[in-house]
Amino acid sequence: MKFFDKMKGTTKSPPGVSLSEISWSWIGAFLGMAAVSGIHYNMISDTDLVMVIGSFGASAVLIYGAIKSPLAQPRNLIGGHIISALIGVACYKLFASNMWFASSLAVATAIAVMHATKTLHPPGGATALIAVIGSNKIHALGFLYAVVPVGLGAVVMLIVALIANNIPKNRRYPEYWL
Amino acid sequence: MNNKIGDVGEQDKYLIDISDDDVLTAMKEIGGYLDITFGDFKELYHVAGSHALKRLMLSVKAMDIMTKKVISVNKRTPAKEIAELMARHNVSGVPVVDDEHVIGIISENDFLSRMGKKEIKSFMNIIARCLEDRGCLAVPIRNQKAEDIMTSPVVTAREDTPVLDIVNLFSEKNINRVPILNQEMNLVGIVSRADALRTVIPAIKG
Repeated sequence: MKFFDKMKGTTKSPPGVSLSEISWSWIGAFLGMAAVSGIHYNMISDTDLVMVIGSFGASAVLIYGAIKSPLAQPRNLIGGHIISALIGVACYKLFASNMWFASSLAVATAIAVMHATKTLHPPGGATALIAVIGSNKIHALGFLYAVVPVGLGAVVMLIVALIANNIPKNRRYPEYWL
Repeated sequence: MNNKIGDVGEQDKYLIDISDDDVLTAMKEIGGYLDITFGDFKELYHVAGSHALKRLMLSVKAMDIMTKKVISVNKRTPAKEIAELMARHNVSGVPVVDDEHVIGIISENDFLSRMGKKEIKSFMNIIARCLEDRGCLAVPIRNQKAEDIMTSPVVTAREDTPVLDIVNLFSEKNINRVPILNQEMNLVGIVSRADALRTVIPAIKG
């Protein structure tokens, strides 16, 4: 019965946040996504490069909406994305003929390595998965995927976070760098 | 409060218990989105708090809390004088000192247990016997001296012994006071349970 007892939970949910917190999360996320998707759609749309991938939406939740979280710190943002990207590309290259296996291996290994390197960043799981199930354009990038869009995009979003999150008096980012 | 204050890992029961509401209020005051559950927070609080308590009890040494003016007797002090001395100074135990070295210790329990008959194990037994008007129970030790009734050998500690270790001594050896010795093994102070408690309570109250 202990097994099922654990599913009941032990405590209540944390309090909601203030209107100012909600507003600054919105502003930060809007500016961050504007920066990466602006580059994607206006500057490199004629090339074979991509700049915006789905996992950046998830990163925005953390680095603009939960800025004190360890998961949202620069080490995790940059490290988690790049490590996961490399793992995702490697899994696709090795096991492209067996997509269910490549997908599972990419995400599971990304989580394990992020844990081991203290860079756990949930969107990293998506970054690894996208490397496997992504478009032909993504597949064509090979390991460059870890630099552009993943590495560069993460850096652009980090710069916006450093600016937007430090404007209001009661907000501060990051908690730590390394 | 004569139980194990110093037991590592049990110290958190001496921390003020905080409720979910306290954490909720704190999180609202701090503002922003804190990525932690009440359960995690309370666990962190208790574990960190018991580390802090342990650190405080390790950093405070016997010499910091000991009573330096020790009431002591020598081995030939008569039982009557010892009893009078303990009563006058309101202490429940005195070290027996011979040539500046502690050779024994006399507590209220030593008096009780030397007063002969087996049934005399507690102070209330003596009250009961007196109320029955069966005479003074202390007669058997009237002519005895300190060395006859003292407990020896005696558990001692050094000036630099951490309070945590002394508190552990209290519970392990079931004693209420520890004479403190310097490098030359001379008596320089005494630490009672009350002395130790006075150190722990401010630590708990922060």
